[in-house]
Amino acid sequence: MKNALVNLVNITKSFGDQMILDDLNLYIRENEFLTLLGPSGCGKTTTLRILGGFETPDKGQVIFDGKDITNLPPNKRNLNTVFQKYALFTHMTIAENIAFGLKIKNKSKTYIDDKIKYALKLVNLDGYENRMPDSLSGGQQQRIAIARAIVNEPKLLLLDEPLGALDLKLRQDMQYELIRLKNELGITFIYVTHDQEEALTMSDTIVVMNQGYIQQIGTPENIYNEPENAFVADFIGDSNIIGATMIQDRLVEILGARFACVDEGFGTNKPVDVVIRPEDVELVAPEEGTIQGTVTHLIFKGVHYEMEVEANGYEWLVQSTRMCPVGTHVGIKVDPFNIQIMNKPESEDEEAVGVNE
Amino acid sequence: MMRNAARKIYIFLIFIFLYAPIIALIVLSFNASRTRAKWGGFTLKWYGELFQNKVILQALWNTLAIALLSALIATVIGTIACISMQGMKRRNRTILMGITNIPMLNAEIVTGISLMLLFISLGIKFGFMTILLAHITFNIPYVILSVMPRMKQLNPSTYEAALDLGASHMQAFFKVVFPDILPGILSGSLMAFTMSLDDFIITHFTKGPGIDTLSTKIYTEVKKGIKPEMYALSSLIFITVLILLILVNCTPKTEPKKEITERSKNSSKKWIAAVVCVILCIVAVFGFSTFKSNQSNEVYVFNWGEYIDPEVLVMFEEETGIKVIYDEYETNEIMYPKVEAGTSAYDVICPSDYMIQKMIENDLLQELDFDNMPNAVANIGAQYYEQSAAFDPGNKYCVPYCWGTVGILYNKTMVEEPVDSWSILWDEKYANNILMQDSVRDAFMVGLKLNGFSMNTLNENELQIAKEALIKQKPLVQAYVVDQVRDKMIGGEAALGVIYSGEAIYTQQENADLEYVIPKEGTNVWIDGWVVPKNAPNKKNAEIFIDYMCREDIALMNFEYITYSTPNEAARALIEDEEIRNSSIAFPDLSQYQNLETFNYLGEDGDELYNSLWKEAMSY
Repeated sequence: MKNALVNLVNITKSFGDQMILDDLNLYIRENEFLTLLGPSGCGKTTTLRILGGFETPDKGQVIFDGKDITNLPPNKRNLNTVFQKYALFTHMTIAENIAFGLKIKNKSKTYIDDKIKYALKLVNLDGYENRMPDSLSGGQQQRIAIARAIVNEPKLLLLDEPLGALDLKLRQDMQYELIRLKNELGITFIYVTHDQEEALTMSDTIVVMNQGYIQQIGTPENIYNEPENAFVADFIGDSNIIGATMIQDRLVEILGARFACVDEGFGTNKPVDVVIRPEDVELVAPEEGTIQGTVTHLIFKGVHYEMEVEANGYEWLVQSTRMCPVGTHVGIKVDPFNIQIMNKPESEDEEAVGVNE
Repeated sequence: MMRNAARKIYIFLIFIFLYAPIIALIVLSFNASRTRAKWGGFTLKWYGELFQNKVILQALWNTLAIALLSALIATVIGTIACISMQGMKRRNRTILMGITNIPMLNAEIVTGISLMLLFISLGIKFGFMTILLAHITFNIPYVILSVMPRMKQLNPSTYEAALDLGASHMQAFFKVVFPDILPGILSGSLMAFTMSLDDFIITHFTKGPGIDTLSTKIYTEVKKGIKPEMYALSSLIFITVLILLILVNCTPKTEPKKEITERSKNSSKKWIAAVVCVILCIVAVFGFSTFKSNQSNEVYVFNWGEYIDPEVLVMFEEETGIKVIYDEYETNEIMYPKVEAGTSAYDVICPSDYMIQKMIENDLLQELDFDNMPNAVANIGAQYYEQSAAFDPGNKYCVPYCWGTVGILYNKTMVEEPVDSWSILWDEKYANNILMQDSVRDAFMVGLKLNGFSMNTLNENELQIAKEALIKQKPLVQAYVVDQVRDKMIGGEAALGVIYSGEAIYTQQENADLEYVIPKEGTNVWIDGWVVPKNAPNKKNAEIFIDYMCREDIALMNFEYITYSTPNEAARALIEDEEIRNSSIAFPDLSQYQNLETFNYLGEDGDELYNSLWKEAMSY
């Protein structure tokens, strides 16, 4: 909890009968790029709105910079939000949009002019002062929304799916842009998205949420390589999630065949879930494989081929640069390091959290 | 090619169909001749007279004040309603939208009557305030209708974004939300202004004594025939409404789209500020003028349209210091419910014989004190009091003001034989050249008298015979009209018409070919008299007013202005023109005629019987 800028303590929030957040606890370090990731309805946007001051939690506290701001209205909080649909003021010029917050705070004209110039330069839109928002592209509007927020020098910038409305190419460009901005400004970003790729690309820390609960907190590598449960594994990238039995330490039985692995401490003959990423499945000659199967689907994806292999009653998803035509008899092999063992959900609560796509 | 031409012709026809009446109106407003039938050259005279007519200017002023105030207030209320409706759940919002839309679809007459009833039950005094409240009420839905779509287009995040950037709730609304919905607000208030400007029905039901808007004024003026000034006024109203509607439809498109300069922005701000200032000034001046008019020494007069010389009212005010609040009605039947409902407390009214009888029977009148009215005692001929005793036994309630007969007006160039009987109205020679009165009692009077019956009969056989006669006459009749008899006869559009004697004198002045006769079978001798209703607030002033009307010089002025026969013997003696003084039309020797009668009040059942028979005759 060192250097925690924001601390959410026991936050509970429901709308009517619908429980959105149930006893959520989360801290965010200074200068961190933290992403709240999850499917729609998981509570990530509500969390952000509680931080922004647009919702008040039913229970719990929001501590910001050492002070309790739970009941502080949005205009009194030293943080700013970048909204999903830009929310630019359409009847004002770009300069007026950016100056809005500064004018409210009665800053001098020269200060405001300098800030506008600086902010437009920062988002690579110098010279756009007198344009109207309608005349800008979606990406440009989003940059103006960011510029409008950061001229107020917030300690914390909240971004609510800011790239959701942009097309793929522009989205990727803006991801790099955001990383650059964060590094130049040296402030804390809290970013909400349902796009796992965005989360993996930009974040220092990812918080995976589902149905009001935090599923896992960790670095992008950590989340991707060692998902703690089937939901996380499934939500982060494609994967083969298979019910299995832990025979003993470092040995797991998957679909009737025994695979070597590196996990320990799950006990003996214990039912578990295993996660194997599609790029970690090796297709070899039938006699070399741990189990054998037949290729049923084949799609060319550019950098690799994606195949489905029917083996021991399970459709394995496989990504490989080597093509095997449909109908080929193949063997399947997995490196022990690439088998991720997870506990099966025990309580009903955790069950509810399960895969729902 | 063919299809294209056909399409153009079709469009052209539609436009002709839609706009021909209005073009006719506008053309007539520039016609120097008083009658519609002739084109007397181009003139702007009527527009000039319009702007010198104080009564019309006052009505114009009322109309503008009510339109501006009601639009302003309705805009504020409607906008606030939209804001809160936007915050509601979809279901509630839909329900509420439906509820606010209903008044727009509701028949105006229903809205008008329900507002009138509401104001009566709340005991609100009818006047400027009640019209204003009514207009605000029916304007709100129009504001909501044009603001709500703007509200829905609004990105809900912009408001939050403003808060996020440090704005308070008020700042966020006025700096961010308001400019976005402003086009909707502007077009909504323009719409409300237009609706208020041309409303007649609701105003008619909610107005009180002494106040008229343009539309109610025009309606009252129509009583004595449509004057060309009214064409001019109607043309101006049409043009104004047209311009406003064009503005309403253009506002949403004039948003700034691309780059705009700082200067143009400033000037538009100044423009809005100027408009607001003007509105505030008008409201302030108006507020002042209503306070000023709140004097206590006044008399509320309710009279037929065009039934007094306006100069007389000015003289009365100067001589007595009593302010006259003057209102007009078109028929006895329109006047009666207003007095009965008590929405308007008048001091003096001038109903006709049978209506006076009805009001006495329904205990709506109070007895007059003739000691306060020496002129009424001295100047009004005894025979007229005798006559009025038929409906006002003992002469307690009424002082005769005007009287006359109903007869046949004919054009000597079109009718060669002598006219002395109602039966000429059944002569097939004059098919399509006959004008009948379009009112039940007057029409039945002709039918009953023709057959030798009393015009007050309740005998069903007699009434059936009269009905059959009217049905038989129907194919010969050019039109059933009221005021247009006068204009049509002057214009030579018909040969024969049933008309009131007072109108006959006027028509003869305009067209020397016209002659008036009282048919030998007898006719209606009517009397209109001054009465004071039970709820009159200023009975004393009422009696001063009635007595003033009976002064010989004043009665003479009125006679010369309205040309209806006066019962004022002293005034008649002052008439200089011997021909008129001894005119058999204005002052017929009634002893020469037989079967003269005055209308009686027949009771509700009697009225109903006449009405149903009249309906049968007209729909036959």
